[in-house]
Amino acid sequence: MDSALSQLLILRLRGGLRERLLQLASLRGLLFSLAFGGIVWFMIVSNGSSGTSLLITEALDWQALNAQIITFMPLSMLGLSLLTVLMTTGPTFHFSPNEINFLFTGPFRRRDLILYKFCAYLAGVILTSLFVTLMAPPQAGSPLFVFIATVLTLVFVQLNSAVIGMAGHAVEGHWLAKIRWPATALFGAIAAGAVLYAWATPDYGIIDLLSAFRHSWIGSIVLFPYIVFAELYVAETVSHLALWSLVAVVINAALLRAVIVFDARTTDRALAENARMSGRWERIKEGGSFFATQQTELRSIQRAPILGGLGPIAWRQTLNALRNSFKIFIIFAGLAACIAPISLAVGAPLTDPETLMVVYVFFAFILPRNLVCDFRGDLSRMEIYKTLPIAPWRICAGQLVVQVLLAYAIALTMIASTLVVEAGVTTQVALVLAAFALPLTFLLYAVENTVHLLFPTKLMGMGRADFEFLGRSIVEFIAKTIFVLAAVAASGAVGLFTFKTVGTTLVLPGLASWLTLTFIGLLTLVALQYAFLRFAVAETID
Amino acid sequence: MITVTNFSKQYKGFTAVKDLSFSVEPGQILGLLGPNGAGKTTTLRTLCGIIPPSSGNLSVAGHDVVQAPIAAKANLGYIPDDPRLFDTMTVWEHLAFTAAAYKLADFEKDAEALLASFELTHKRNTVVHNLSRGMRQKVAIACAFLHNPKVILFDEPLTGLDPQGIRRIQQAIRERAQAGASIIISSHLLSLFENLCTHIMVLNLGECRRFGTMEDLLSEVGTTDSTSALEEVYFSITQASDETSDTAAV
Repeated sequence: MDSALSQLLILRLRGGLRERLLQLASLRGLLFSLAFGGIVWFMIVSNGSSGTSLLITEALDWQALNAQIITFMPLSMLGLSLLTVLMTTGPTFHFSPNEINFLFTGPFRRRDLILYKFCAYLAGVILTSLFVTLMAPPQAGSPLFVFIATVLTLVFVQLNSAVIGMAGHAVEGHWLAKIRWPATALFGAIAAGAVLYAWATPDYGIIDLLSAFRHSWIGSIVLFPYIVFAELYVAETVSHLALWSLVAVVINAALLRAVIVFDARTTDRALAENARMSGRWERIKEGGSFFATQQTELRSIQRAPILGGLGPIAWRQTLNALRNSFKIFIIFAGLAACIAPISLAVGAPLTDPETLMVVYVFFAFILPRNLVCDFRGDLSRMEIYKTLPIAPWRICAGQLVVQVLLAYAIALTMIASTLVVEAGVTTQVALVLAAFALPLTFLLYAVENTVHLLFPTKLMGMGRADFEFLGRSIVEFIAKTIFVLAAVAASGAVGLFTFKTVGTTLVLPGLASWLTLTFIGLLTLVALQYAFLRFAVAETID
Repeated sequence: MITVTNFSKQYKGFTAVKDLSFSVEPGQILGLLGPNGAGKTTTLRTLCGIIPPSSGNLSVAGHDVVQAPIAAKANLGYIPDDPRLFDTMTVWEHLAFTAAAYKLADFEKDAEALLASFELTHKRNTVVHNLSRGMRQKVAIACAFLHNPKVILFDEPLTGLDPQGIRRIQQAIRERAQAGASIIISSHLLSLFENLCTHIMVLNLGECRRFGTMEDLLSEVGTTDSTSALEEVYFSITQASDETSDTAAV
């Protein structure tokens, strides 16, 4: 690689390190970083002391897990590759606009630029692998083994996707490109046939079928590149690890060589794709979604509803949800529908505290981070809202309507799937859950938005090691959880009081609880209005 | 009309604007002139209700921006220097959104006329993130004009526009003023002021250094060798005030 590019890599790494140190220089940055460090330390200590991970229970047999890794990891990686073939729109070596302006016009060979980008990616992979290693439970084996396996696997995933994408573009116009969809149809037919066969054969499920394919001779040949990386994770001796690491390095080197060869044939496409990706990232930073519509021209209704000023705001967020977050919504609805069946399959009922915690984290942390159709995605447009002749509470309510309804629909999906698969959940229970889910969802997002307007921040971290951002996210989540728990406790207390005072049935206490929760939610809307009025557009959003 | 009386704005110990008073009558176009950090954008943002004033009274079309913000905003159009539009909405949807926000019952005809006027008709169904910066600026201006505001505030209105766009916007500003709107323009383009403004206010370090009609200001300088008389006025005022503050510091 060119020495100037090596120098640039070192300077960028130093710059990244300096940014992190500067974060520590401020009290807020220091506190958030310490909070993040504390949580990581707690997880490491809890892993070490109990011999189990927070997410992996003692019941899990590690020998059985190794067998599952060897069987299903190659299949999953093959699935990922096939998905890349179908979904990819361009090369995955992404150069930012600054890099294009500075480096593409500089005296560098394309090969050197690819190597530069690969090294930058490798640095990120090493950091990610360090985290994975720290979080791995003791039974996973030597931390060094876990680290090496993770580095080599993540590098493979990136290079493999890049080669698939670039190969697709290199053969554009060639007859080979035409077999993409027939081949997909053939794969689809084979998959459908397999599912039908498994369905028609008693005591023989799709998992058994996949397992049989994996261990067949043809499966071993097709999946060989992926089996190598599964072997890395189950290696028990140094010689075993060294052997498979060597093979993995050879595969990755061959893929890197292929990237360099294909890159020479896809430069124009790569530039267009880089511009598209940069545009997407810029929109993500402003609260948009990676899956936002790429269409240039769109038709829609000619008028927005007024509804006293609430209408246009809700309409704007509806369009945002349809064009920016629809795929995210579908994905999360699908995930929510799977929670109950999966919990049943792994023998962890939804009433277990651990399962409930996972469900809560899903709805209160993961979902709000990804589905953004409210103020959080509009901080850069607050000027517009501030100048509108609409009462602040209507603006706040309009901002929440779509977000709450979408999150509620996802919650309903989970409740419906629970009703179907959990024998203990009756229609009556499901209806009660559905009734309480609405004010609870409203409360969650009213708090989320209030905190965001009072302490505005970026929606994305500054790279992988933005400890301040990660710490802040965790602190916000804990604060939100405390508030929500307090609201739920108050609601429960009112219900209990009503039951002890007047109730012989659960209807009145339930109604009292529901009204209390709704009332607290509405009070939070008042807090959100205060936060909106207090929000200073002129101040820099850090 | 716009009336500003004894307006001051402080940010955490820093005074951005100090004791500012002026008024802009219907049909007048006031140019806000001053170096970076003079308080121009702060004044505009306070007038349109984005930031609250620390003290003083500001009214738009007879409505106090603090006491009756909704009524004030209903009569106001604001075009920021960097229009942040809703990236997944089309040009027409921005106009429909604005119409609903300002409760306009029949806006279609006016919206079509504005699109035609800014040469955006063929872009009506285009998602705004696919537009150039100049086009986005035109969309922001069309939205600000849609409800026919009595007061229009422009912050660097010509940024990113091509020569045709610049001519079109200047013409639109003149037409709005002739129709009775009170207009304030903040810009660093002195030629824009010479072409459009009836009044000029020179701000420096948050204070008003000079406020008067364009003729009054230019007559003070007389004939100069400079290509722009206003440029001469600007530098004479801002440099004089810089020297004054330096002397005071000594």
